Amino acid sequence: MTTTARRRLMRDFKRLQDDPPVGVSGAPTDNNIMLWNAVIFGPHDTPFEDGTFKLTLVFTEEYPNKPPTVRFVSKMFHPNVYADGGICLDILQNRWSPTYDVSAILTSIQSLLHDPNPNSPANNEAGQLFRENKREYEKRVQQIVQESWLDDSDEESDQNKADAPK
Amino acid sequence: MTSETNQEFNFYEDELIDEKIAAQQTAIEKEIANEQKLVGDLIELNTLLNEYLAEDTVYRSKITELSERFRYMRKTRGDGNCFFRAFAFRYFETLMGKPDEINKLKDLVNKFTSDLSQLGYNSFTVDDFKDVFIEELEKLNNTSDIRLLEEIFNNSGSSDYIVVFLRLIVSCYLQNNSDFYLAFLETYQSMKDFCSHEVEPMYRESDHIHIIALTNALEIPVGIIYLDRADQEKATPHNFPDDSNPNIFILYRPGHYDIIYRN
Repeated sequence: MTTTARRRLMRDFKRLQDDPPVGVSGAPTDNNIMLWNAVIFGPHDTPFEDGTFKLTLVFTEEYPNKPPTVRFVSKMFHPNVYADGGICLDILQNRWSPTYDVSAILTSIQSLLHDPNPNSPANNEAGQLFRENKREYEKRVQQIVQESWLDDSDEESDQNKADAPK
Repeated sequence: MTSETNQEFNFYEDELIDEKIAAQQTAIEKEIANEQKLVGDLIELNTLLNEYLAEDTVYRSKITELSERFRYMRKTRGDGNCFFRAFAFRYFETLMGKPDEINKLKDLVNKFTSDLSQLGYNSFTVDDFKDVFIEELEKLNNTSDIRLLEEIFNNSGSSDYIVVFLRLIVSCYLQNNSDFYLAFLETYQSMKDFCSHEVEPMYRESDHIHIIALTNALEIPVGIIYLDRADQEKATPHNFPDDSNPNIFILYRPGHYDIIYRN
């Protein structure tokens, strides 16, 4: 059965292919349109430059009335990203609008990378270094940039299984 | 060092609490969904008496009085969308079998769609909601079969898309008339901020400002009948706009809106 969520996700995917935003990509997994893999490339002129950060997006049948659950699979060091990859971003919580699509979600996360919000800390250490010690912050970010190239695909598919809706 | 570790631990705990709250929220939503259709069947308004104890004389006498003027009602699901859904159902009901009025609404819908695009909204997604809104509306051109309308509004796909689009109309109208409406805001600095927190997200409850904006945007007056514990003999009516003579009536009990039908 084609539900509104599934139909809309097909359209989101088509738009992502027809009009791809710079520096992000995403696609549904082979057998499950409700589970997407995405990659955000670290924006230029930021400590995240050259990183290839993998994420998963888990949608429910309530999409687009409710936002998906988005997590970084790649290790992340950022004031607004929790230890388990969860993201503290208003448009994914209390400021979600059904007019946002996957393309808008990914580009918002991309801009969060170079523009952290110090008022909603998810990683205290990253928040503190960002405010007080930029040099050390950049060093720590560069470590995870390098780690992002090494992510092996086995780990990623295990993560997918864990996140997939039952 | 110890304190830093503790703080980190706390942040992780916060997140776990967020997840627990979300899970509980989902459980409550499911329970409500099982108990109440999105838009319920036509029932007699005085059946509301069953919801109040015999001692609750304020409510009981107001309900008895009200049921003489409004014999029938439909309950709506208390999911935060109840005002929009109640309004939409009743409004669409008044349009059934009236292609001229449906066309007028379609023109208005197209106007708001282009206004939204000028405000910078993503046309690709706005059109998705607009298309479903118009598609469902057009089904009503040549029919007065209420079962069709009940079906449209109890299918969460079409029903929720109609609610989303009405929320977008309200958001668009408020942003384009923010000079006037900004005075109503208490906790928000800008209209855009208010709309993105309180209007556009689904399940966010409606207040006066939503009702005023929607009735002005669509130029469709609404009568809200307030049924509460206030020490009056009758449930208090309030028309939006004040001097209008509405055909659409909605019963408000603190926190919830249902559809009622005037005799």
